[in-house]
Amino acid sequence: MAADTVFGSSHVLDSSSSTSSHPLSPGAGVVPAIENVVSTVNLGCTLDLKAIALHAPNAEYNPKRLAAVMIRIKEPKTTALIFSSGKMVCTGAKSEQQSRLAARKHARIIQKLGFDVKFNGFKIQNIVAAYDFTFPINLIRLANSHFKFSVYEPELFPGLIYRMKQSKIMVQVFSSGKIAIAGAQKRDEILKAFENIYPILMSFRADK
Amino acid sequence: MATFELYRRSTIGMCLTETLDEMVSNGTLSPELAIEVLVQFDKSMTEALESQVKSKVTIAGHLHTYRFCDNVWTFILQGASFKSEDFVQNVDRVKIVACDSKLLSQ
Repeated sequence: MAADTVFGSSHVLDSSSSTSSHPLSPGAGVVPAIENVVSTVNLGCTLDLKAIALHAPNAEYNPKRLAAVMIRIKEPKTTALIFSSGKMVCTGAKSEQQSRLAARKHARIIQKLGFDVKFNGFKIQNIVAAYDFTFPINLIRLANSHFKFSVYEPELFPGLIYRMKQSKIMVQVFSSGKIAIAGAQKRDEILKAFENIYPILMSFRADK
Repeated sequence: MATFELYRRSTIGMCLTETLDEMVSNGTLSPELAIEVLVQFDKSMTEALESQVKSKVTIAGHLHTYRFCDNVWTFILQGASFKSEDFVQNVDRVKIVACDSKLLSQ
């Protein structure tokens, strides 16, 4: 364990400069930052959406557009969509624990209005992470050589969409060097996708 | 044609409602006529605000709560300032109720 950390810290020192001695793998501690976590939970009872919209703070309800009440809370800064079936979607959290905590806070708001609320089947549905490689990337060359996995239509969308072979993870690669990894249900899936894409993007650097 | 009844909650609207209620309990006015008066009040307020009011006010403050239900927006602002050409007014707390005027002509 001690040996790992010694090796790890030299990795971090090396990869901060452009002449990294280990260009094909991200150093220890070099991980993408999680930007969004989407989760769902079943509150286990039918809900009166109009009553919720009238009494809960920071609520929006426009049944013509969406058959759900949208409620936002400040901490963790999240938005929840609550349906009359009792099912709820919680978006905007920055980590899995925060998403669970936020979902519990939203459930508490509904409980305070008098509904017999439970917290059934909480599940993280999607985790989105971002990373900045800080060097420009040649998307055309990447799309041509990895045509099996890439979709690049600059007239439709400026980013290249890279789908990993085995998994359902999707990586959006932009020519600025910024990437977004989405579609994961677990944090390790994000890290694995990042480790796979790291050497690929390193080899398509557009500067020296 | 449906009207927005929110102007009945203004000071002038409340005075009108009070007066009409008094007259109806007196028997000097029939309830149907009182309702007609209030509906006409709604229409006149909407018309007057649309055509006779030209000034523009900027409202700025911290949004404490918001609500959107039945196509009505309700905002509660804290530390708000009402700024226009001639004056500035600061208030600790203000509730704003807003309806979509496009819904009137449906």
